[in-house]
Parts: sequence; C-alpha cells; structure tokens
Amino acid sequence: MNSNQEIVSLKNVVKNYGSGQVAIKALQDIDLKIYKGDFSVMMGPSGCGKSTLLNIIGGLDRVTSGSVIFNGKDFNLLTNKELSLIRRNEIGFVFQNYNLLPVLTAYENAEYVLMLQNIPISQRKEKVMNLFKEMDLEGLENRLPRELSGGQQQRVAIARAVVSNPLLVLADEITANVDSKTAQSLLTLMEKLNKTNNTTFLFSTHDPIVKNFARKVILLKDGLIDKEEQASKNI
Amino acid sequence: MKTIEVSWRNLWRNPTRTNVTIAAVALCISILIIFQSMIIGLIDKAVFTTTNLVVGEVQIHAESYLDDRSLYKYLKNTKKIKSIAKKNNIGLVERSYGYGLISSGTKSAGTQFWGVEPELELKYFDFAKHIDQGGFLNNSSSNKIVLGNKLALSLAAEVGSELVVFVQGADGSLGNELFYVSGILKNVADNIDRSAAIILKDDFNILFSADNMIHEIALNSKGNFTAEEIQNLISAEIKNVEIDTWKQLMPTISLMTEKMSVFMRVLFSSIFTIAAGLGVMNTMIMSTYDRMREFGIIRAIGGTPFRIIKQVSLEAIILTFIASIIGTILGLSVALYFQKFGFDVSGKGNLSFGGVVMDPIWKGSVSVGIVILPLILMFLVSVFSSLYPASIAARINPVEAIHYKK
Repeated sequence: MNSNQEIVSLKNVVKNYGSGQVAIKALQDIDLKIYKGDFSVMMGPSGCGKSTLLNIIGGLDRVTSGSVIFNGKDFNLLTNKELSLIRRNEIGFVFQNYNLLPVLTAYENAEYVLMLQNIPISQRKEKVMNLFKEMDLEGLENRLPRELSGGQQQRVAIARAVVSNPLLVLADEITANVDSKTAQSLLTLMEKLNKTNNTTFLFSTHDPIVKNFARKVILLKDGLIDKEEQASKNI
Repeated sequence: MKTIEVSWRNLWRNPTRTNVTIAAVALCISILIIFQSMIIGLIDKAVFTTTNLVVGEVQIHAESYLDDRSLYKYLKNTKKIKSIAKKNNIGLVERSYGYGLISSGTKSAGTQFWGVEPELELKYFDFAKHIDQGGFLNNSSSNKIVLGNKLALSLAAEVGSELVVFVQGADGSLGNELFYVSGILKNVADNIDRSAAIILKDDFNILFSADNMIHEIALNSKGNFTAEEIQNLISAEIKNVEIDTWKQLMPTISLMTEKMSVFMRVLFSSIFTIAAGLGVMNTMIMSTYDRMREFGIIRAIGGTPFRIIKQVSLEAIILTFIASIIGTILGLSVALYFQKFGFDVSGKGNLSFGGVVMDPIWKGSVSVGIVILPLILMFLVSVFSSLYPASIAARINPVEAIHYKK
C-alpha cells in the first residue's frame, strides 16, 4: 500500500519543555518519514515521547528546533490559524478517551469535521451514512456518547477522524480503554480503511495488539528513535 | 446541526446553574422595567400636576410683566388668543393680579389678589378643587374670598370670617372692601399657600378700579398638545407678548424632572445591568472550565478560535434571551398593575415635587421605552460578559486542554 509519497518528514526535531536547567528534553534529534498508505505504530515506555511526537506531527504542538514538513508545508513557517486549517482539512485525530463532544449525537460527532469544512448538508449526510454503514455503526446515529459502549464510542471517534478522507490519521493509545476483543475489531476496521481508502495511519501505543497490525514499528526511547523496523506481517 | 442548536444543548447540561442564572437576569430585567415605569410615572405625575394645578402648559403675559408685576402691565387684546385656543380646543383662563393688605381682627398680611372666573378655573385647572375647608367660588360669590392655607393660618381666618381688604386702585384711589372667607385651600404650592387671596374677576375690577385688566392667560390642553406646540401656535399669530411654557416658567421643576429621570435611570440601569452581566459571566466562566477538554478537541480537529467564541457568546445570548422574555413578562405585569392601581404613599405625608403637592397615589407609566432599554442593555452586557470566558476557551492550547482535568 505504501506509495512512496512522502506525507510527513521530520528532520532533527527537538522538543524541550521548560528552559534552562529545569528543561525536560522530550524529543532529541528525531528524523522520521511517513509515507502515504503507511500503517505505522510508535511504541516505547511511558514518557519516551510518543504523544509529544504525535502532537508535533499533528500540528498541535511546535518543535523547539528542527523542521516538520507536512505534505510539502513547513510547520515552522505556518501561523496557528494555518495549522488549524491543516488539522481541519488534512489530518484526523483519534484520542485515547474517545473525546466525543457529549452534547452531539454519534452522527453529529462524525459530521462535525465536515461542518467545519463547510461541506453542504446533503453531502455530509451521504458521507457520514456511508461510513456508518461501512463501520457497522448503523442504528446508532441518534445516540449520545453516554448511550454508547466504549467500543462504539471509539468507532464514532474513528469515523470522525476519517470521514473527510484526511491524508493522515493520528491515533493516540486508542485501545487503552477497551477490551482486547474490541481493540482487535477497531484495528481490523482501521486496517480495512487503510487498505480500501489508502488512508495513512500513525499509532502511538503500548498495546502489542496494535503492533500485530502495523507494517512499520518505530521504537522510541528517552526521546530518541531507538529502532525503526518493518513488521513481520508486512514482510 | 446548527451552532445555535449546539449552544442550546450546552446550556441545559447543567439545568440548575442555567435556571438560577436565568432567574437572576430575569429579576434584574423585571426590576429595571418596574423601576423605570415608576420613575417615569413620578415624573409624568409631577409634570401633569404642575401644569394642571394652576400653571397650565403655556402662560401669556404682557412684556416684562414677570420681571415687574405691575398692575398696569396687562394684556391689551385677548380676543385673538381666545380664538386660537378655541379653534384648537385648548382650555384657557384669564387671571388678574394685584397686591394689597388683608386683615382679620388684629392680624394682617400682604396678599396677592387673584381675580378669576370660577367656572373656567374649575374646568381647566385643579387648584380650585383642592379645598380644605368651605368651598370654592362660584359666579354668584360676590365679596367672597378663598385663601391659601398658610395665609389663612397667619390671619387666624376660618370659613365665614370677615376680612378687611386694602389696595391701591389702578386710578390711584384707595380701595377697601369687606370680604367673607368662602374656603381655604389645601396645600397647593408654596407661593399660593402663603399669599393667594382669590376673588371673582368682577370683584377684582371693582376693588382695583380696573377695567378688565388681564395679567395672565393660562392655557391647558391637558396633554393634547405639548407645551412647545401651544407656544408655537400662539407665537405664530400674536406678537408683543411673552409666551412661556411651564418649563420656562418653572425651570427648577423642569430641570429636576429631566435630571432626576436621567440620573435615576442611569444609576439603576448600571447597577442592575452590571449585576446581571456578572451573573452571566460567572455562569459562562464555570461552563467554560467545565468544558475545557471539549474546546481542546474542537481546536485539535480544526475548529477556529472564532467558532468557539461564537458558540460561547451564543450560549450567553440565548440565556439572556430566555431571561429577557421572563423578565419582560414579570416586569410588565407588575408595572401594568402599578400603572392601574398605583402605590399609596399618603401614610408618609404629602407627596410633593419642587414645592408642588401631588396626589399621594404614585402610579407607574408603561411605555415601549421602559422595555426596550433593559433589553438592549442586557443583550449588550450578555455579549460583553461572554467575551472573557469565550476568549479563555478560544486561546486554550489544544494539547493541554485535551488532558485538562476538572
């Protein structure tokens, strides 16, 4: 599935929190490339910098030094508003705690990004309903998040992340709050989306189940890339 | 899904907090409406009392009469004025004034004599109805006199008392006559209470050897025209006389009514608007911190700060809109009640304004203006008071907000 089209390129990325003697070095001299169609996973112990790296790639956080090129655009040269537009139009996010908007129904949560993109209602409806069908969420459209199980909520969160066909979907510990069976089904779903739509996924996780699905594994340790390897599944 | 719908749902996530805020804002709006109605009612009453009691909306005098109240400065031709008044259905009375001495037994006092036509005074003005003892004059009340209450007190005069009057007539002769007290006025206005001695115009002419000397014409349309309109009507056709509105004749009362109205409305509007604004702001700040993580998500998935500001502000506007409806219904109901039945303040003594004694029933006055002002103020304050919490929400760092713990 990898097309060798470079989506993300990180060069000498350093991220420090705080300054002076109390500065915490979250990332040190990271070089990384993500290609279209990748299904990659970042792994490593707590505090190794996985989430920080995910936030930087997603344009949620800025680097202390180094560069992040996303689809040809240098994040260092972009304003917050321009970064916001890239997140809206080109990146999808799936968070650990689902983070659905509680006053919106499942349908409305998935539709939200399309609304931000000013897509007409009829097209929004078509896209969301097709996706819900594909993701086995039919019949749950009008339920509020509190009326859904953890697995269902995470499916809706995935639907929200992929509904606008973003270049890249970033998923942070998405299996942390679900049982292994649900985790398996979520990953199967994302793998299917990767294969059918060529959607690029980058996971941050502790969970070995996720590793089993990945075609590329990036191991982080103390803010450095310790090892980058093609997973056996893909070989 | 519309932003307004999302804002509505967000408002009712914490119904208790929203209801309490709506109640507080509605109460502020209703108090503002009631208060304004009572203030305007008081002002209207003061103006109405002032003009209806004795002054009228407009008075006409000979030139410089008000500076030097000489017996000889009288209006030469009143027919044209009467015709204008009649044509426009404006009430008109003619009054003659002269000064003299009045004595009762061993007591005496300087007095301003009023020569009046009782029927017209009773028809167009109220002072003649403010009788404390006895009765007012009628057309056959020859040699009868009505006294201001303080003058009667200083003369120790009662109804039926015999009074001796001394004046200098228009021809220079000394006029003296016996009069009998017909009635004593209630408190009307300080100058009338202390010095008014009211007699028939015919008696005045005899006493002062005057040939129908009219010193004052008072016009009263009872609100059909404004004072300025009447002034313009007369001045367009009549020259060489002084035509003054009640505001020009009684600048103190005019100034007091205007200043009091503005001052009270500004003061109370400010207090209640600020109180309501702080209530709305408090609710929106609490609500913002409760939803910090959600705002972080919206920012993370590409929502702009403006979208968040719009959503939070819209919530404040909806909240204020609901409160405005409730506050307006409540405030208007009470204001309409007070407009109809009033508020009896007679137990607190005379209700007077600028020396003019008013009816002790204090009534409100309901108009569109008393509703519009609070609504506009509340709308503005809700928008402004939501901007601070909205800016907190809009400026949040999405990464920190997503991991925010309440």
